[in-house]
Amino acid sequence: MTGNKTALKLLGLAALLAFPVLPFSSEYVMHVAVLIMVYAVLAMGLNVLPGFCNLLDLGYVGFYGIGAYTAGILALNHNVSFWLIVPGAIALGALCGMLRGAPTLRLSGDYFAIVTFGFTELVVLFLTNEIWLTRGPLGLPGIPPIALSLEFLGIDWRYDFLSEIPYYYLGLAMVGAVYVVMCRIEDSRLGRAWLAIKEDPLAAASCGINLMAYKTVAFAFSAGVGALAGCFMAQWSMFLAPDVFKFWESFLVLCMIVLGGLGNINGAIVGAVVLIALGEVLRVLLPKLGLPAETRFLVYGLIMILIMRFKPGGFFPTIAATSKKSRLILDLKARLQAERAG
Amino acid sequence: MMFKRALVMACAMAAVLAMGSLALAADVIKIAVPSPFTGSAAGYGDNVKAGVVMKVEEVNAKGGVNGKKIEAVYFDEQCDPKEAATVGTKIAGDKDLVAIVGHLCSGAHLAALPNYVRVGVAALSPTATNVTISDKGKDAKGQPWSFRNVYLDDFQGTFLADYMLKELNLKKVAVFYENNDYGIGLKDAFVKQAKANGLQVVGEEAYMKGATDFTPQLTKLKGAAPEALFIAGYYAEGALIADQAKKLGINVPKFGADGLDNADYIKLAGPAADDTYLTTPFLAETAGPDAKAFIDAYKAKFKRDVDWMSANAYDAAGMIIEAISKVGPDRAKIREYLAAINTKEKAFKGITGLTYFNDKGDCVKPAYVKMVKGGQFVPAPKQMSN
Amino acid sequence: MFEQQLFNGLTLGLIYALIAVGYTMVYGVIELINFAHGEVYMLGAFLCITFIQALGVPLFPAMVLAMACCAGIGVLIDQIAYKPLRKAPRLAALITAIGVSIFLQNIAMIIWGSRPVPFTRSAVPAAFSETAFTLGSVNVSGLQVFIYALTIAMMIGLTLIINKTRIGTAMRALAQNATAAALMGINVNRVISFTFALGSGLGAVAGILVGMYYNTLSATMGYNAGVKAFAAAVLGGIGSVPGAMLGGVVLGVAETLGAGYVSSQYRDGLGYAVMIAVILLRPSGLLGKSVGQKA
Repeated sequence: MTGNKTALKLLGLAALLAFPVLPFSSEYVMHVAVLIMVYAVLAMGLNVLPGFCNLLDLGYVGFYGIGAYTAGILALNHNVSFWLIVPGAIALGALCGMLRGAPTLRLSGDYFAIVTFGFTELVVLFLTNEIWLTRGPLGLPGIPPIALSLEFLGIDWRYDFLSEIPYYYLGLAMVGAVYVVMCRIEDSRLGRAWLAIKEDPLAAASCGINLMAYKTVAFAFSAGVGALAGCFMAQWSMFLAPDVFKFWESFLVLCMIVLGGLGNINGAIVGAVVLIALGEVLRVLLPKLGLPAETRFLVYGLIMILIMRFKPGGFFPTIAATSKKSRLILDLKARLQAERAG
Repeated sequence: MMFKRALVMACAMAAVLAMGSLALAADVIKIAVPSPFTGSAAGYGDNVKAGVVMKVEEVNAKGGVNGKKIEAVYFDEQCDPKEAATVGTKIAGDKDLVAIVGHLCSGAHLAALPNYVRVGVAALSPTATNVTISDKGKDAKGQPWSFRNVYLDDFQGTFLADYMLKELNLKKVAVFYENNDYGIGLKDAFVKQAKANGLQVVGEEAYMKGATDFTPQLTKLKGAAPEALFIAGYYAEGALIADQAKKLGINVPKFGADGLDNADYIKLAGPAADDTYLTTPFLAETAGPDAKAFIDAYKAKFKRDVDWMSANAYDAAGMIIEAISKVGPDRAKIREYLAAINTKEKAFKGITGLTYFNDKGDCVKPAYVKMVKGGQFVPAPKQMSN
Repeated sequence: MFEQQLFNGLTLGLIYALIAVGYTMVYGVIELINFAHGEVYMLGAFLCITFIQALGVPLFPAMVLAMACCAGIGVLIDQIAYKPLRKAPRLAALITAIGVSIFLQNIAMIIWGSRPVPFTRSAVPAAFSETAFTLGSVNVSGLQVFIYALTIAMMIGLTLIINKTRIGTAMRALAQNATAAALMGINVNRVISFTFALGSGLGAVAGILVGMYYNTLSATMGYNAGVKAFAAAVLGGIGSVPGAMLGGVVLGVAETLGAGYVSSQYRDGLGYAVMIAVILLRPSGLLGKSVGQKA
């Protein structure tokens, strides 16, 4: 069984790597694939708060915006390389995450949610109104693409990311890196502390978990990942406007992780795939069924309702992903199944 | 198991997407019309669609172009830059779509444009007025791929500032602007020209799209006793501003640009709409027989009065179709044809007057002023003498 | 000028309060942030003008009809979309609510079109658009008098229902402990349906009043109002009905004064800033029950 699984994983990876050269992949399909990857990173990042710590975050898109505008402004006005921007933007995002998190530490439940929501509205208003810095609603057009360059070594070699394919591979690497980090963390002391906070903060505290410290790390980590996705998106789409960071985007990402299965890292990725692809599939499919473009979101809403209706726990209901690897639980599961069969 | 399921799902989705991009045998010529058809800007998208529908039906009723029917393919992008970029790659990658009428919003246009420039397909926007677009529509050789048959924001703002002072002799004006690229572009140009002319701007107030309550800003402006109100925004909110100003007892002439130019403005604002002056590319009363025929046919088909977006979209589709009939359904040649329309003599004669482009793909059109009187649009008694 | 601003802010605030009450009541009984509530508010306004225009019903009966329809729609939404998820994780119901909201907004756009529609002028009594009286420097229009009278009357009625009737007592019992309430013989599903009906009816009234006051309706109007009202409900202490009323008023006044005196660009932001400040100082809202501080 394990051998099968590894083989499947390898096959999946090979399929992903070969995806751009398959006959049906056009620029458009690649673009959608890259978009999915951006959202997959966002979904994994958001998952840390509601999924691991049971803190409902309705304003995640704020960090995405902070990261994107950091990258956009630095790359456009100061010609800073993407590779230098990334650590800076992640640090800035993490800082903002802590700043937002610090005063909300004593809030719980929906009060926390509405503060995160208000915070993001303030971020978007800042992006809209501080025209001297962000050009406001006029947007930031003409952000240079990501480039690989050895010029700093004095070697005259430069590769600009001009089509979707390099972004696809870079995106794949980004998703892979975030995924591995997430899985490692979930399986670490930190991840277990988060899960304990999620299950029962009071019990966690009495077991000696420092709630403040662990929550603050969660805020910073989650925000940093959002900023990373923002950097990538800014230099990929080459255009930014405050409109891109409407709060609907926060909801969209939240829908992804709930649809995928709250707290499940694989679920977050699947949620991103499903919801982004759904919009595009409907765009293609509805006209073929004779329905006008105006009905696209009608059907979109309906499908969301139906998925939740028949899969209330999402595609992968929450069992911590690691527990599926744990010998103990696997044995237990096998025994239960045997009992049920018997 | 999970990976298998994910893999199957991914394959299925990829297959559907791929199916969509497969071309059917072409006995039609397709043009793409990307605009918002859902979301809060859908009303504007519907206006553009109406104009394109009129033109396409008219051409097809006459047998199409060189024996082939024209088909407009509508793409919804919600006026959202992210969606627009996705739609942009789709359009750019589909070689059957020979040219583009769109996008509606400047932000969406800017987001999608890099795709069009890279692949080489001309986009003619009937409505995107942001000044920034001018510099972003060119490829490496300096050829423009983005065109528009609409004024730029700065032109109308400057024009109105001149008109207020020189023709109507107003001295104090308060400005309301929608906090988006259109409103800000218009407001900045207006304020700059006003200051240069010695027209006093007694207040600048912003509002967000979809806002309904303007009384705080109006109450504040009332204290400054303006002689005129300049509304740099669209009709949905503009009508509310006019209505609430009247309720607060601010009875001064209102000024607006093409954003207010819609029969719904009068419907929504009611009697408060009177005494509103607008810039417009064409006056129905003085337009030629083509325009009159269009206005009547439009009203018969859609049961509402024609607006400038529909008129511009009608002309934009007309220009694209004319290009197709002259040079064939070839993306590069259509661009060349459009770019060659660069003097008044070679201009395209449409219902919105003469359209020709400068080397950036922007158009130069004369502006007229019309006003609302007794619940009707009529030409303003004073036109700019230029 | 300040008095006028304050007065206008109060008008806006009362309308927010009327919507916020719907959020808070539903939250009280099933702990769900019903994001589709803003859409019900929008449907109320559209149904009202449809009754007036298509069936020739006069304004006040049309309002009552629209209210009744929306109450029905509210119950229907609950029965179809939320009821199957009572035992599911809380977020599943939240996502469903978002889905319902998208669905209703788009269906309204298909039925009534995507462009803004004026409220039927001829149906509105002429006295509404005239100045009823002047109080110092404040002009009060007939419509504003009507809005004040109607909203305040409804709030009083609602308070009476919640505090004095059997079903109101059942609602409060449910809000405190659903299991215990069920054990005491309260028909939980009936109470939930009643709550949805009541909240949706009030939301419909708010929609109609806004439509009349601003003379414009659009399919997307529910979104902004819904978000504001939700903020108001949280500000007042979610689950608390008097809190939602107070929260609505505070938010409306804060926003109006902010736009009038601070910066119109940051108008919405000022509302949220006040809200955040209040929550940080009083972590369970203005009038909310203090939740047991876990750690």
